[in-house]
Order: sequence, then structure tokens, then C-alpha cells
Amino acid sequence: MPVDKNMRILVVDDAQTMRRIIVNLLRQLGFTNMVEADDGTTAWDRLLAEPVDFVISDWNMPKMTGIDLLKKVRSEDRFKALPFIMVTAEGKRENVIAAVQAGVSNYIVKPFNAATLKEKLTKVVGDF
Amino acid sequence: MPELTLSQRIAMLEASQTGDTIPAQQVWDLVEAVKTMFGQHDVSKGAQSTSQLYHELGELAKFISAAKKELQQVKESDIANQQLPTASNHLDAIVQMTEQATGKIMDECDKLSTFHNNIRERLVNMDPPLDPDALAGVDDGITEAMTSITHIYEACNFQDITVQRIQKVVKALQEVERQVLRMVVVFGLMENEGKLDDATKAELQEDAALLNGPQLSGQGLEQDDIDDILSKLL
Repeated sequence: MPVDKNMRILVVDDAQTMRRIIVNLLRQLGFTNMVEADDGTTAWDRLLAEPVDFVISDWNMPKMTGIDLLKKVRSEDRFKALPFIMVTAEGKRENVIAAVQAGVSNYIVKPFNAATLKEKLTKVVGDF
Repeated sequence: MPELTLSQRIAMLEASQTGDTIPAQQVWDLVEAVKTMFGQHDVSKGAQSTSQLYHELGELAKFISAAKKELQQVKESDIANQQLPTASNHLDAIVQMTEQATGKIMDECDKLSTFHNNIRERLVNMDPPLDPDALAGVDDGITEAMTSITHIYEACNFQDITVQRIQKVVKALQEVERQVLRMVVVFGLMENEGKLDDATKAELQEDAALLNGPQLSGQGLEQDDIDDILSKLL
């Protein structure tokens, strides 16, 4: 099934610059429907308030970190299959293992480029 | 095992580190080397060594304090319109400046993208139509330009990475400063036993207690407090 380029992608990062980079790279890849949140708590509120098809989240954030958001997401039945990519500057093995154990769909280490983002998205949702 | 100097053993340990555990034997060898190093000192020279150590620490504390002040002065002259009351605000200033600059770069990238898309649309809709080969050539050029714009966006990753690394360095520096200052106070109280009045001693003991744990925002010592401690002891 072809990937819906209009799927709603929630981009979560406390750094406005990073959100903008990710949104722009997604736009370059042809995606058109992106929403943003600046920490895990705001992201969680958005997830409860509106339909979201995909989450791309930073790890280090105030209030609620990316890993805590992921655990919260996976604790709800309705979000069990929600694709969730973690983006982080921390490439530590224990972090990757923790994210995998928490149910992450894929993992991107910063800095990254459009090709890496496309490759990870493809692994999660298929070719586009 | 052949005799190695302490620095050789540390270098050997560092070279063998792969992010996994360090073999117990290597740790043991290092401990032995440290013991040997300290064992080389004559016991009768213990007090002299402590005094030397105290003065070395004092120099280190003064160096860190001076470096922080220097940093503050540089930043203040750089950002003439911004008042930066404490050293901790420097990080915020760096974050702000890089964020603003990155935002500006991305604003211009957005404009360039719109500009290129408009050109493409105009050329495609020209009446009479452009020669298809010429149109394809221009289209390739526009696609290349758009790819370059994407690369600029990718390069803007530096801002986030830079900020995270600066935060780590600043945290490490604060921790080193806290530990050094704590040692200065502890040694200083011993060194200046007869010279300090009770009120000053009590004050310094209070400062040492404050320096004993991780510094929490708003609860640690400010630069003025640090300068005050150093002026009493060094």
C-alpha cells in the first residue's frame, strides 16, 4: 500500500530549530501534514486531542523526555502500533537498548540528513 | 609485569577502553601504581606535601575563577545591548544567538525554495511554451538548487548539537570548580587555623557544606561568594 504523504506527523523537540529542520526535511520528502510539540507533555496532550499517524521525537526534553513519552504511548492500547522514531544526539548503546525495550520503531542519531530520515521512515512505513 | 610509570598505565587504560568494562587486572595495576607513587613520599614530608597540594589547588581555583570572569567580559563586549548578570546566562546567550542565526538561515532557505518553485511554475506555464529541452535543462538546475537548500537545512543540525555539547562542558566545568573550591576551603581551614576568627571559620564551614553536593539552580554559590572565599583563604 502506498504511503499516505498526508499522514499527520507529530514532531516533538524542545529546540525550535530542530523542529523546523525536521519539518522542512519531511516537506522535502513530500510530506505535507506536520504538527509540532515542544516537550513530551505537550506531545501527549496533542496525541489525546487529535489523530496522529506518526511520531518523531527528541530524547532530551524538559518536563517529559522522549523515552518517557514513548513508554506512555506504548502503555495505551490505542497507541501500541503508532510508529515512533526517536531522534537523539546520544548514540549510547544503553539508550538504544532502552528505546528498543520501550517499543521504539526506529532510532536516528543527530546530526542526520534527509537521506537518513527517508531510510528510517521507509523502514517503518514502507517505500515512498 | 615490567615497571611502568603512572602516566603510562593511565594511557594504557585509556587506549584499552572500548566503552565496555575495564579488565580487573588493569584497574588493580593502576591502584598499585598510585599506591607506589604516594608511597614514595617520606612520611615526615606529609605536612609539606599537603601544604603544596593546598597551594596548587588554590592556584587552580583562582585560574578557574579568572577564566570565568574573562569569559564574562568577552561576552559582554560582544553583546553590547544585552546585560548578562551572571556567568550561567552565557549559555543561554550562546543558545539564543545560534538559534537566531540558524533561524535566519532557514528563513532565507524558505524564501529561496519559494522563489525557485515560482520560477519553475512560470516557466512551465509560459505562453508560447518553452522548448522542452530548454525547459528540462532549467528544471534540472532548479532541482539542483533545491537539493542544495536541503543540504543547508541538514547542516543547521549543528545548532542543536553545539548547544548540547556546550551544556555538557559547562556542567563539567561547574563540577570541577565546585570540587576544587571545596578542597580549597577544607585545606584552607587547616592551613589558616590560627589566623581565622570564629565567625569566618563558621562561614567557611557553611560554604564547604554548600559545596558538598551537586549545585542546584539558585541554591549554590554565586561568583561573588566564590571570590569572597578565595579572598579569605588565598
